[in-house]
Amino acid sequence: MDDNIAKIIFQPSGRRGEVPKDISIIEASRLLGADIEALCGEKKVCGKCKVRIEEGFFEKYGIDSKLSHVSGWQEEEEKFINTQDREAGYRLGCVAKVLGDLLVFVPEESRAGKQVVSKAARDILIEHNPAVKLFYVEVSKPTIEEPTGDFERICAALEKEHGLKDLKIDISTLRRLPTVLRQGGWKVTLSVWLDQEVIRVRPGKIEASYGLAVDIGTTTVAAYFCNLATMEVLDTVSMMNPQCKYGEDVMSRITYHMMNEGGLKKMSDDIVEALNTLIDQALSATYPPKKKVKKQKGEQGPDEWIEVPEEGKTYLRLTREDIEDITIGCNTAMHHILLQLDPEHVGMAPFPPVIHHSLDIKARDLGININPSSYVFVLPNEAGFVGADNVGVLIAEEPYNKDEIQLIIDIGTNGELVLGNKKKLISSSCATGPALEGAQLTYGMRAAPGAMERIRIDPETHDVDYKVIGRDAWRQFSEPKEMKAKGICGSGILDLLAELYKAGIVNKSGAFNKDGQKSNRFRKNPDNRQYEFVLAWAEETSIGKDIVVTQKDVRQIQLAKGALYAGCKLMVQRMGIEKVDKVKIAGAFGTHVDREKALIMGLFPDCDLEKIVSVGNAAGDGCRAALLNRDKRAEANWVSRNVEYIELTVEPNFQQEFMGAMHLPHMTDAFPHLKGLVPEEILNQK
Amino acid sequence: MDVTRKKEILDKLAEAVVEFEEEQAREWSQIALDEGMDAFEAIMQGLAAGMETVGDLYDQQEYFVPELLMSADALYAGLDILKPHIRAEDQKNMGQVVIGTVQGDVHDIGKNIIKLMFEVGGFEVHDLGRDVPLEKFVEEQMKTDSEIVAMSAMMTTTMTGMKKVIEMIKEKNPDVAIMLGGAPVTRDVADLFGADGYAESAGNAVQEAIKMISNLRKLQEKA
Repeated sequence: MDDNIAKIIFQPSGRRGEVPKDISIIEASRLLGADIEALCGEKKVCGKCKVRIEEGFFEKYGIDSKLSHVSGWQEEEEKFINTQDREAGYRLGCVAKVLGDLLVFVPEESRAGKQVVSKAARDILIEHNPAVKLFYVEVSKPTIEEPTGDFERICAALEKEHGLKDLKIDISTLRRLPTVLRQGGWKVTLSVWLDQEVIRVRPGKIEASYGLAVDIGTTTVAAYFCNLATMEVLDTVSMMNPQCKYGEDVMSRITYHMMNEGGLKKMSDDIVEALNTLIDQALSATYPPKKKVKKQKGEQGPDEWIEVPEEGKTYLRLTREDIEDITIGCNTAMHHILLQLDPEHVGMAPFPPVIHHSLDIKARDLGININPSSYVFVLPNEAGFVGADNVGVLIAEEPYNKDEIQLIIDIGTNGELVLGNKKKLISSSCATGPALEGAQLTYGMRAAPGAMERIRIDPETHDVDYKVIGRDAWRQFSEPKEMKAKGICGSGILDLLAELYKAGIVNKSGAFNKDGQKSNRFRKNPDNRQYEFVLAWAEETSIGKDIVVTQKDVRQIQLAKGALYAGCKLMVQRMGIEKVDKVKIAGAFGTHVDREKALIMGLFPDCDLEKIVSVGNAAGDGCRAALLNRDKRAEANWVSRNVEYIELTVEPNFQQEFMGAMHLPHMTDAFPHLKGLVPEEILNQK
Repeated sequence: MDVTRKKEILDKLAEAVVEFEEEQAREWSQIALDEGMDAFEAIMQGLAAGMETVGDLYDQQEYFVPELLMSADALYAGLDILKPHIRAEDQKNMGQVVIGTVQGDVHDIGKNIIKLMFEVGGFEVHDLGRDVPLEKFVEEQMKTDSEIVAMSAMMTTTMTGMKKVIEMIKEKNPDVAIMLGGAPVTRDVADLFGADGYAESAGNAVQEAIKMISNLRKLQEKA
């Protein structure tokens, strides 16, 4: 065991690994992707990075964690950690340095949201049973007495040693068989799909096989590069969905197809190209980085590159053929566009898809560059816009195996809701997306560097503090021109409405409180005569203008949250239940959402804060589960037909509920759990 | 009736709409009738005047969709009481309107608000509801001989149906005025489809319709 390395595991995220000794716990958390809050940029003045060092031997991880494995107590920590907590093992992450193996617990208040694309894979329990498995056989050479053909020869061995019967073989693999068999000296490893079809043959004994789980979102595509044998996620790659140029939301893309000859094929080709780019991206990361060779003076000829491998890192050097299985999950519209199925009818009431059931399609038929014989498994659709991505969420969260009643809210560009437990499940979709992702807001933007992702408003002074993506330190700990803010993204928008309401800047109907203003941030824009509130002054921005939120912006957010709340409430009423045991927020949003703010603005019906859980990109996790466990595929099909879909807009009370839900947190519904979180006079205003 | 008393009743009616007080709307509508006020006048100078104020507040974004709908509820509460008492000669039937949300679309909040405006304005409205098959618009227009056909769509995918309806109607009856509305509809789209008028959103439609009503009120005042 290297003396300069220590093993760390962060709870509850589960992120673990080896880090060099003598770095601070915050630096260690960055290396392993555990994200601890660093508001003041590690200047030791904010106290927000409190962590707890656990003492004990943790067999499961092979870690003997001790308080003495971190550096000594510093006086800066006195201000933030009292004697009691100190004894319990609390330290400041920016002060305490790693000296030995550690198990570090990161309390809720110290957890920071993930940057930019938060479609990271979660540590969920998946049973190991991939669709593609490797089988090694040794066969005897053909002889005069026994001249059986190559394929039948290996089939006999596969049956005898592994019990596989009635195997087929893909033509592309068959063509390689005779050469590979002889190359391997009659000892080969076969990749077999679902115990039915041979899709790859390689000489010798090979134990590694790889696959890709892809989540095609309307806005972002994320792929999880996995080792099928060990279930390890090697890499997560993502990119913007190139179809965005045809429209931000699914409807505009469907319309593009309806109004443009060849539009469907164009959009489909675009996404396939994106998938191939992601595949190549993941593959090139398995090679060392390259450097250009410096030319001698006057030397002619093409550029030469040499590899510069990082010390101690193993490079797998994989190729396209090494990816032997792919699963894809996406909403119904994305599904149809990818497969070039006419999406026109899915775009109009009653929104029937062309197919519900899952599909197994040869990757080469779709133009996807992986092992030529391999299949693509496309998860099944539920109903209407509640598509394969929602099925992914369900097989990851498994509400049908639980007694507790769960409400799962998947907020992406569309919002899908699922409610129920093992007795019954219902689902619906509401168009929440665009506003909550910044699309229709004056200074709304996608999550990218410069986007205000967290906002706090002081209730006394109405001063605004915020954090932008790409910079750890908040505004109050920075010089104005260091902020370089560009706009507001999703999580900032969710913070915003709650903060405006809590501080009394807007009243419960969402209108600016003309009388209650305490700062010069509230003003009437002379050009459009609309009221607005300044979030960032021009000097704090990279665009040279004040970043404001207008009355119209507030209305847009209200519409979105009203739809979501109404959807949740109608579903709860439909089920005939009183309350929900757990609220799970999924989607890229889920990782960012501050549950207190979500409750304050009334994103969903009142409930105990402790019951609200973020489940990250559950749709992607579901895709991964289907990749690594073939049983999840049948489960996906079962789930998709056993969830009852409710069309919200035709529910008789929809208009009524939608209307009431636009107020903050609601026009009439009580929010007892907000007591203490929102000042009395604001919560009880008429 | 005493001029001060008349003003008081009209103010109370307008206030009921602006404050979305259904009970107050009902109460004062009944008072108006009991004290011999002309029903049509009570509607136009009281309830509808309140709706005009609501429209302004919406324009300034102080009122939003929920407030609009609640004001409409109050308006309807008053109308229920006053409408049956409108004198025959005041029933200047402004015309017939066929309205509906196009095939494939089920959003109708905006459409319902506009329907209300037309009714208050003295039009006879034939509401076809939502997800209305395209041919039905044509059939209903021919059946009622309506001067106006108003169509609404909230999705770009269903908006395209409007073009077909306009073609079908204009072919049979080029004098029908066709109005389009709904979030994805823009003036350019309306022009492209061959429509005669358009409203950008429920709020705008209210503005357009309210302008219509306010013109009517001025006409009625002069009369």
